[in-house]
Amino acid sequence: MIELRDIEKTYYSGNVATPVLHGVTFRIERGEYVAIMGASGTGKSTLMNILGCLDKPTGGEFHLDGIDVVNLDDEELSHLRNEKIGFVFQQFHLLQRTTALRNVLLPLIYAEAYPDDAEDRADVALTAVGLEDRMTYRPHELSGGQQQRVAIARALVTDPEIILADEPTGNLDSRSGIEVLAIFKRLHRQGRTIVLVTHSDDVAEHADRVIVMTDGTIAEDRRVERPRDAERENAERTENGEQREETVT
Amino acid sequence: MKILRVAAEGFHSLGLNKLRTFFMMAGTIVGVAALVVIMAIGRGTEQKVMKRVQAFGPRAMMIIAGGGKDLPPPDMTVTTLVLDDAEAIRNEIDGLEVVTPQAWRFDMDLRHESNQTQSVVWGVEPQWHDAWNWQVVEGEPITADDVATMARVCVIGSAVKRDLFGDQDPLGKEIHCNKVRLTVKGVLEHRGVGGMGGVAEFDNRIIIPVTTAMRRVMNVDYVGAIRVVTKDPALMPQQAKQIRDLLHARHHISPPREDDFRIITPMAIAEMVRGTSGTLSMLLIALAALSLLVGGVVLMNILLISVAERQAEIGLRRALGATQRDIFMQFLTESLAVTFLGMIVGSLSGYGVSVLLARFTPIMTVASWEPLAVALAFALLIGTFFGVQPARRAARLRPVEALR
Ligand SMILES: Nc1ncnc2c1ncn2[C@@H]1O[C@H](COP(=O)(O)OP(=O)(O)OP(=O)(O)O)[C@@H](O)[C@H]1O
Ligand SMILES: [Mg+2]
Repeated sequence: MIELRDIEKTYYSGNVATPVLHGVTFRIERGEYVAIMGASGTGKSTLMNILGCLDKPTGGEFHLDGIDVVNLDDEELSHLRNEKIGFVFQQFHLLQRTTALRNVLLPLIYAEAYPDDAEDRADVALTAVGLEDRMTYRPHELSGGQQQRVAIARALVTDPEIILADEPTGNLDSRSGIEVLAIFKRLHRQGRTIVLVTHSDDVAEHADRVIVMTDGTIAEDRRVERPRDAERENAERTENGEQREETVT
Repeated sequence: MKILRVAAEGFHSLGLNKLRTFFMMAGTIVGVAALVVIMAIGRGTEQKVMKRVQAFGPRAMMIIAGGGKDLPPPDMTVTTLVLDDAEAIRNEIDGLEVVTPQAWRFDMDLRHESNQTQSVVWGVEPQWHDAWNWQVVEGEPITADDVATMARVCVIGSAVKRDLFGDQDPLGKEIHCNKVRLTVKGVLEHRGVGGMGGVAEFDNRIIIPVTTAMRRVMNVDYVGAIRVVTKDPALMPQQAKQIRDLLHARHHISPPREDDFRIITPMAIAEMVRGTSGTLSMLLIALAALSLLVGGVVLMNILLISVAERQAEIGLRRALGATQRDIFMQFLTESLAVTFLGMIVGSLSGYGVSVLLARFTPIMTVASWEPLAVALAFALLIGTFFGVQPARRAARLRPVEALR
């Protein structure tokens, strides 16, 4: 599915070269749930940009679904992103003053063929993240957690093979974070490939596999024995919450 | 069609920031409005020119007594233009259909019984009717016989008829003009106002045989003007020159002495009419050019600022699959939509101003659809010219950098 071999990335600005990735090699199979960890500045986002076909490596090979990404031009990369990848960002990146529904429809605008049932799909995606009653809300009328869920719905609407999430819970409180992770867990159960960058061990424990990076290389690549189940935790938490509310009243 | 969806995104963005959109439009609005007004004035002027030339006679020239560069009225004190000059022109210049001298006086008192009025008295030859293409609607015109016999007859304008006779039949009645009694033999068709200076009331006149006018009424041996009508308008400039040379010789005029006559052509009339609205048009053209240019630059700058402000949005769209072309088209759409909207608002305003000008000022305007085509062309031109640079900048943003 995702195959990286000896990926190098050096940023050049003027005469200054900043080498960031020094030979990153790994495979991610279809349906895996991978967390990428590492200290700040080790190149996690750089790697995610390459995985997301937003940037090209300066060396090495990258195959996505058997496609040799390194040799694609800008337009082909755009189409590839549109078809195969769903992005979730730390800063949500929703269009302001634009409804949740319209935000979710955005990727379909750039699809080769705009589906007849685009609105239905957006509807389904928003329902899948629990926002069926927030379709016409604009970002400033939504909480951070809800905004991130809109962003996830947007990532889902094209039915991509891979979800790439760079610190999706970084700007959220723990409760909203669990809600988001619960959605990822469900998507994973449905067979989708998920790659998630996080600083937090708590978050990483929800994945099946953790890749730890240090100084632009892979320091550790391990399976998680018993991944946490955010879906269940979330369900329990709401139950408890409801019980608490009952005792209060 | 993807391009339509991308264009719709452009429209959507415009709707999100209406104030910004308005400022982007402002220059186009003013520029296009000015363009529309210019063209309305231009057409109005041409219509006025047509009317004036038509009233003057498109094939006619007037040789008027008195020098200088101004248009009529003629200098009544100049006595050098005489009937023999008309005769000489008639005999020596080829290609003229009519040559007819005219003597006239303003502010002549006319009286019929107890009714009085002031009018212009014209002494004419029979050809006058053809030279001015102005016939009688009642009674008879002035004839060669009338001229030969210095007949005490007149043909009156409709205003004179109204003032002196009311509802009565004027034919055969007598009117007093400067102690001369004239029998009304005809009534001229109605012409309204207009004429060479634009203020003459055409119908407030009587015409009498030129001989009667000179000998009996005015007691002069010169005329005010000679009107000629050419057979071929193309020959007019040449004939004007021939007439000038002829009169120079007859009046013994050679430089440095100034001419004691002027030759007025339809071209001169047209020039005079255009001249008055020309300055205004020049001002408006300057305004239009300036506002379109300044507006374009403002538009471009706002777009450039907007590209900078919307880096994250652009990066996001790129991440979601927008190609460089999609981004380019979105921003170009924004620019074009703005100028197109500006064009519509500007056209409507320009139309409104044209109507107001026509109603409340002497400026004549004719609104038409042609300016819309010109305005549309300008709007698209400006939208493209000033939109391409920002759109290109937006398209060239690297997604990773834009998203940061
Ligand atoms: N465009 C660029 N030009 C030059 N250097 C860059 C550029 N982008 C990133 N870097 C450098 O690359 C290194 C890795 O950056 P990156 O954003 O991938 O780190 P990260 O692991 O995502 O860190 P964090 O956990 O703080 O998000 C940093 O030292 C950064 O300064
Ligand atoms: Mg990062």
